[in-house]
Amino acid sequence: MKNLLEHMGMEPDRLHFSWISSAESTKFVAVVNQITAKVKALGPNQRFVKKAAKVA
Amino acid sequence: MSTYTDKIRETAQRLLKECKVEMVIGFRKGSQPMMNEPCVVRSPEEVDQLIWDSNCGINLANYLTNRKEKIGIVAKGCDSRNIVTHIVENKIAREQLVIIGVPCLGMIDKRKIAAAADGEILSVTEADGQVMVKTAQATQTFAKSDVLQGNCSVCTHRNPVIHDEMIAEPVPEQTDVDPYADVAEIDAMTPEQRHAFFEELLAPCIRCYACRNACPLCYCPTCFVDESKPQWVGKGQDPADVRTFHFLRAYHCAGRCTDCGACQRACPVGINMRLLTKKLNKDCLELYGWEAGLSTETRPALDDYQPNDPENFIH
Amino acid sequence: MSEWEPKIVSFLCNWCSYGAADLAGVSRMEYPPNIRVVRIPCTGRMSPKFALAALREGADAVWVSG
Repeated sequence: MKNLLEHMGMEPDRLHFSWISSAESTKFVAVVNQITAKVKALGPNQRFVKKAAKVA
Repeated sequence: MSTYTDKIRETAQRLLKECKVEMVIGFRKGSQPMMNEPCVVRSPEEVDQLIWDSNCGINLANYLTNRKEKIGIVAKGCDSRNIVTHIVENKIAREQLVIIGVPCLGMIDKRKIAAAADGEILSVTEADGQVMVKTAQATQTFAKSDVLQGNCSVCTHRNPVIHDEMIAEPVPEQTDVDPYADVAEIDAMTPEQRHAFFEELLAPCIRCYACRNACPLCYCPTCFVDESKPQWVGKGQDPADVRTFHFLRAYHCAGRCTDCGACQRACPVGINMRLLTKKLNKDCLELYGWEAGLSTETRPALDDYQPNDPENFIH
Repeated sequence: MSEWEPKIVSFLCNWCSYGAADLAGVSRMEYPPNIRVVRIPCTGRMSPKFALAALREGADAVWVSG
């Protein structure tokens, strides 16, 4: 999935997968921080968004 | 090629006479040049309709889904791989089928001919690797290797992988081709370039779903594009919707596509959507060592867990 | 709007990451408010459609966690 999205020109850091056990709250927080930082660096998503319908 | 036709007729006739099958699915001449159509023959008297030449690009495995009869089917390399996929996915039972294998030397791309020929094409014939195109003005001759379908020119499975009858000796497989050269080209682009590339590639799409209908893999009772609660993808030609459609269509074929080229062949505006499915084929080959439709024994790559499956995309 | 904040749609497995998120809350840990959690019964419920739907509707990123 990730590979094809990137193939079609999406930035790699917009889709994340992770594996966190229910006991790993520290890892959860770490991953949230990491992902948020990466997405902030990318800026808003423009590529796969459906533009709001224009009223004719 | 005409010997192929004779052998197919002969085999079909024998199978029908001996009541080994209730029908034979093959090709007959279409009403226009280069447009052979699939046909179903149910009695020995009708077998003379059947033909074989280089315009039989439609994938006949498409007509097997959920059939209950005993069926004889004419299958070239890619058809046979799709038949294997159908068997693995329980869409047809192996016992129901008599597969008439046809070693294939590639199919002609009718768009390439139409682009190269002057004026309306009246007839297309072939002999000894040459294709003769007759138009109102003149007769032109092309080398068949120049007018092959894109997928045929890089095909590495020309002989049927599964068959009960074989109508000719297997042809040599191509070994010096790189099927994924065009995918590698896109892989070398930056995300911006790729985005622009696909924007342009998909721009002419009119959302007719011909690619979906021609594809032997697309047999869901309700396609995701027709679902309305929730609606996954809009029905218009908004670039985001077109993108979503092509993305999901390709993704549904991941690890199943045999690159038979039916989608591209069916597309009325000539979009090469194989670039998407081929990317997934390439990934399946590189990550899981998997090529679709080669054996009825092994489970598909995305259907099976192996401890050594790559997991470097997971944090 | 002073500064742009990303919206990250997160699909969390009920038994794994959702539990971890719960534990993080109970433990009063702090983490960025950018994630929007969708609880799914199992990561096996995830479908590529979900990710695309999220992106279509304007999410800046998608996070799937088992």
